[in-house]
Amino acid sequence: MGLLTILKKMKHKEREMRLLMLGLDNAGKTTILKKFNGEDVSTISPTLGFNIKTLEHRGFKLNIWDVGGQKSLRSYWRNYFESTDGLVWVVDSADRLRLEDCRRELSALLLEERLAGATLLVFANKQDLPGALSKDAIREAMALDDIKTHHWCIIGCSAVTGENLLMGVDWLLDDIAARIFTAD
Amino acid sequence: MLGYIWQHLFTSFLRFWLKWFLRHITGKCELQRICSRYKQGAQRTTRAEYSLESSKSKVLRTAVSVDENQVEECAITIMTEKKVATQKDPTFKMNLQACLLQITGYKRLYTSVEDLRKQAFDGENNRHENMLLKLWDLLVPSVKLESRITKQWGDIGFQGDDPKTDFRGMGMLGLTNLVFFSEKYTDVARRVLSHSIHPKLGYSYAIVGINLTEMAYSLLKSDMLKPHFYNTVSQNPKLEHFHQLYCYLAYEFDQFWIKEKPESIMEFNRYREKFHEKIKGLLEEPDVSLCLAVESNL
Repeated sequence: MGLLTILKKMKHKEREMRLLMLGLDNAGKTTILKKFNGEDVSTISPTLGFNIKTLEHRGFKLNIWDVGGQKSLRSYWRNYFESTDGLVWVVDSADRLRLEDCRRELSALLLEERLAGATLLVFANKQDLPGALSKDAIREAMALDDIKTHHWCIIGCSAVTGENLLMGVDWLLDDIAARIFTAD
Repeated sequence: MLGYIWQHLFTSFLRFWLKWFLRHITGKCELQRICSRYKQGAQRTTRAEYSLESSKSKVLRTAVSVDENQVEECAITIMTEKKVATQKDPTFKMNLQACLLQITGYKRLYTSVEDLRKQAFDGENNRHENMLLKLWDLLVPSVKLESRITKQWGDIGFQGDDPKTDFRGMGMLGLTNLVFFSEKYTDVARRVLSHSIHPKLGYSYAIVGINLTEMAYSLLKSDMLKPHFYNTVSQNPKLEHFHQLYCYLAYEFDQFWIKEKPESIMEFNRYREKFHEKIKGLLEEPDVSLCLAVESNL
């Protein structure tokens, strides 16, 4: 095996990305994953444990981990941090009562050493619901502007209609790629 | 490839001549031969369904989706079309009718299940709210709920303070299944609940229940439950029979989970899939009957 083959192999392997999708229960993580993958989203049930999907997008191989958000499962989140390139934090924009919970969980995550290098995409989901807060209101409530440790971006979206999902994922891929594949 | 060609040749050409030949030898049409040769249940009904669906006659093809009250009339029309004389084969009409009730009933059952699933849990609807409170009282009669929104819901395996967001795509079908199991098999349901709060092997009782409703629903939708219903319900299957199947899954999954001893609840999807495969395997048996082996208390 020549040096070139080894390099090619490494490069090939490098085009894999690991994305971790977290958020409170009922935020819409599984719906986002399924919608993005072109699956039916009308018969979803709550996630116990996790779902993993591997899909190709723009020449990247994405390993997306969708981990259940209910309180009793949150202590297991740390088992999925290792080598995460991008963190997708999903917010139910219509759940005003738990926004503070949501902010607290996210800020705790951002202190995690193993997530230190990850890019953060915040999906302000459920924009299709009449009572949903706007992307800017979520940005303020979650104090996103205080985040200095991670590259971040917030996108208003709807997992049910699919609106802006692609835009969010594309931003995330561009940011990660610029960080880790600069040699390309 | 060869198998595919053979199948194509057989269904489009040879099957017709084989049927013609047998009809003249035996003096009976294919449906008569099926009814006399196979015992009542999936063996007979599945074959009759295939025969009807692949028939050249429109009367026979449309017979699989007639209304319940048209079944008898439809059987008579089929007998006229196929020139079957009642005197020569006195049991045929009754057998054909039973097959038709099962075949069309399965399609109607899917419609009713789908209607219930599409009904989202609505906190403004008293009937929905009362069902939720009833579920609590059936499972934990000794403890009163402190309020409608409370952490106590976690004790029966909901995710947070208010179960209303947990039903998701399964809607009222999920809640109805949970209530049905607790009402018909109260002791069994409580025993399953007590296993679910085990410190090591515990799982979220209600959430697992909603996941199992999804499993039952997808099995129904993909027609995999046909043999089970054809074997266990002699006429048309109703919603109640679907709830019964859910009870079987809820009980069996609990047994399966305890036996498998998963490392933690995070392994749920892996074991759910394993259990799903096991059930699909059972459903491939022609004599399958997925019935709970305990007495109901009503």
